[in-house]
Amino acid sequence: MNAAMINKTSFFILRVTIIIFICQSIVYAATPVIDIEIRNHLFIPSEIVIPENTKVKLVIHNHDETDEEFESYELNREKVIIGQRKGIIFIGPLPAGEYPFFGEFFPKTAQGKVIVK
Amino acid sequence: MLLSSVIIVLREVLEAALLFSVLIALSKQMGLNSRWIIWSLLLGVLGAFTYGMNINNVSEWFDGVGQEVSNALMQLTIYFMLVVFMLMLYHFSCKQKVSKFPLSLIMIMIILLAITREGAEIILYFFSVTHSQNYYMAVLVGMTIGASIGISIGILFYYLLSNLKPERSIFIGLVLLLLVSAGMISQASLLLIQADWLPSQLPLWDTSELLSEKSVTGQLLYALLGYEATPTAIQAGLYLLGLIFPISIIMGLKFTYTRKKILSDRPTKQ
Repeated sequence: MNAAMINKTSFFILRVTIIIFICQSIVYAATPVIDIEIRNHLFIPSEIVIPENTKVKLVIHNHDETDEEFESYELNREKVIIGQRKGIIFIGPLPAGEYPFFGEFFPKTAQGKVIVK
Repeated sequence: MLLSSVIIVLREVLEAALLFSVLIALSKQMGLNSRWIIWSLLLGVLGAFTYGMNINNVSEWFDGVGQEVSNALMQLTIYFMLVVFMLMLYHFSCKQKVSKFPLSLIMIMIILLAITREGAEIILYFFSVTHSQNYYMAVLVGMTIGASIGISIGILFYYLLSNLKPERSIFIGLVLLLLVSAGMISQASLLLIQADWLPSQLPLWDTSELLSEKSVTGQLLYALLGYEATPTAIQAGLYLLGLIFPISIIMGLKFTYTRKKILSDRPTKQ
């Protein structure tokens, strides 16, 4: 193997590594994070807009002392968010439309929806 | 507050009550005494308290998806225990001997896990909602009503199954358990998708217009066979696998038993 060939191979490996890195960062960039707060049994904001056909990471910060259960039949999601803690829920990809969610423990006030555009 | 506490408790109790009633009816058919019922109830309540009280630690596991992963693990364990139970039930229906101790142990495990999962949520709900004193009575009444409805439906199921001829009740029980167990797989896969441990996909179909998961029928079908209005391909595929796996083992057993019978029926040469 001559020097030129080694040079060529190492250049190829470098290129592949760079491409892998770029692809990975695209994958990570494709999961947007949206923060939602729970205060006094209300979701703030109560409406969030997310892009169509995209997976989204919801981070729900519960500022109340009481636990709440994030629940949505339309999103097929259910998770207890402990009081004064946060919880992570992945949603989507979803077709365009409106997906209501609610707090199962305090459904009278804790209402919201995800709007997929 | 009253109505929402009825609904939340009913939803949690219904699933465990249906499973419990089918298992009790079948265990009676298999000649088991009722000691396992008391054990599973006691251990289940203990499990629910332990899980409920430690949920804040559990939630932190696996980068914040500990709840999903442990719930999915419990569902999967229930599934495999149910498969073993179904095989033992089939074994019994073929007039074969079934040892009672492992049978009770498996049923205790199933109910213990079912109550732990559903009960923990009820406990968390109770402590959250009664945090402010003014709801106390309404919540307590609502929870009692919800639990009573759920248990009543379970008792109804029990009597429906018990009043059938033994062979028929075993067959129907087997089919019900098959559906419930596949539902467990579907729920577990949904939780793992929510935790991003399984890839998420667009829904395969949408039957929410036809039968909403919010409706009474939808809720009952969810508890009974894991009905989902908008499943993804992975979820539906795993559900099918969950159905096929025990059926194929039972078919295999059936084949073995039939062959054994033919061999033993054959007149031996003198």
